[in-house]
Amino acid sequence: MRVMIIVRANRNSEAGRMPGPDVLAQMRTYNEQLAEAGVLVGMGGLLPSANGKRVKASGGKKTVVDGPFAETKELIAGFWLWQVRSMDEALEWAARFPDTGEDEEIEIRPMYDEGPCGTMTASAPKAKAVAAAAE
Amino acid sequence: MRVMVIVKATKDSEAGVMPSQKLLEDMGKFNEQLVKAGIMLAGDGLHPTSKAKRVKFSGDKRTVVDGPFAETKELIAGFWIWQVRSIEEAVEWVRRCPSPHPGTEIDIRPFFEAEDFGKEFTPELRAQEERLRAQVERQKKS
Repeated sequence: MRVMIIVRANRNSEAGRMPGPDVLAQMRTYNEQLAEAGVLVGMGGLLPSANGKRVKASGGKKTVVDGPFAETKELIAGFWLWQVRSMDEALEWAARFPDTGEDEEIEIRPMYDEGPCGTMTASAPKAKAVAAAAE
Repeated sequence: MRVMVIVKATKDSEAGVMPSQKLLEDMGKFNEQLVKAGIMLAGDGLHPTSKAKRVKFSGDKRTVVDGPFAETKELIAGFWIWQVRSIEEAVEWVRRCPSPHPGTEIDIRPFFEAEDFGKEFTPELRAQEERLRAQVERQKKS
C-alpha cells in the first residue's frame, strides 16, 4: 500500500525559516534510510503559501486568491510518499522521524491504488496506459 | 517549476461519497489532457481520514491518534504534481478542472527547489539530495 505522510505548516515554515544544518543532515540520513529500504517513492517541500494561490469553485464560478493564507493549520509544508506493507510499518518508520528540537505532528494517509481516484503517478501503469491511448 | 495542486477535503470526500459517473469521465479526460501536455508528474487520491493516523512528537514522547479528524478544512483529499512554466499556467489548468465535490478548494503551491535554499543547504547536502532523487527515480521505474 502507499501512504502520503503530510507535514503541516507552522509559523516557521510560513516565514521561510529553514531548519538548522544538523536537522537538515539528520533528515537527509532519514531519507536515505527510507530510500535504501525501498520505502521512499516521493517527497517534496513546498514554498510558503505567500508563493501560492487558491482556486475556489462555487456554483460554476472559479475565484482565484493569492497567498499568503492566514489559517496556517489548513496548510501543508511538505510531504513524503511511502510504499509500505501496512499502516504498522508506516508507523514504525514514522517513529524514527528525526528530532527537530520542536514539537511536530505528521499525518499518515493511505492512498487509493485502484479505481477512478487511483494513482496517476507518471511512472504508474495507469498513467502510461492513458498516455498510450492519447497518442 | 513544479507545483503541488492540493484538492482540499469536503464533508463529502470525508464521507467517502464517490463522484458521479459524468464527473469521473470529465476528470479522466482532464487527466488525459494533463498527460498529453507533459504536465502530469503525479496524481493521487487519499482515502478519507477514517483510515488515517496522526503521530505527534514532543521530546521523547510519541503519541498516535486515529482518524477520522473533525476539522475538514485542515484536510486534503487528493493532489497532483505538475511541471509548469509558471504558476499562472497552473492556475489556467485548475480553472478547467472539474470540481470533484461541491465547494471544492484547490491550493497551488510551488515546490522548494535547490535554487531556493540558502547557504544552510551546503554543497555536500545538495550532492546527497541529488543521489537520493536519482535513487528514488530508479526505484519508481523498477
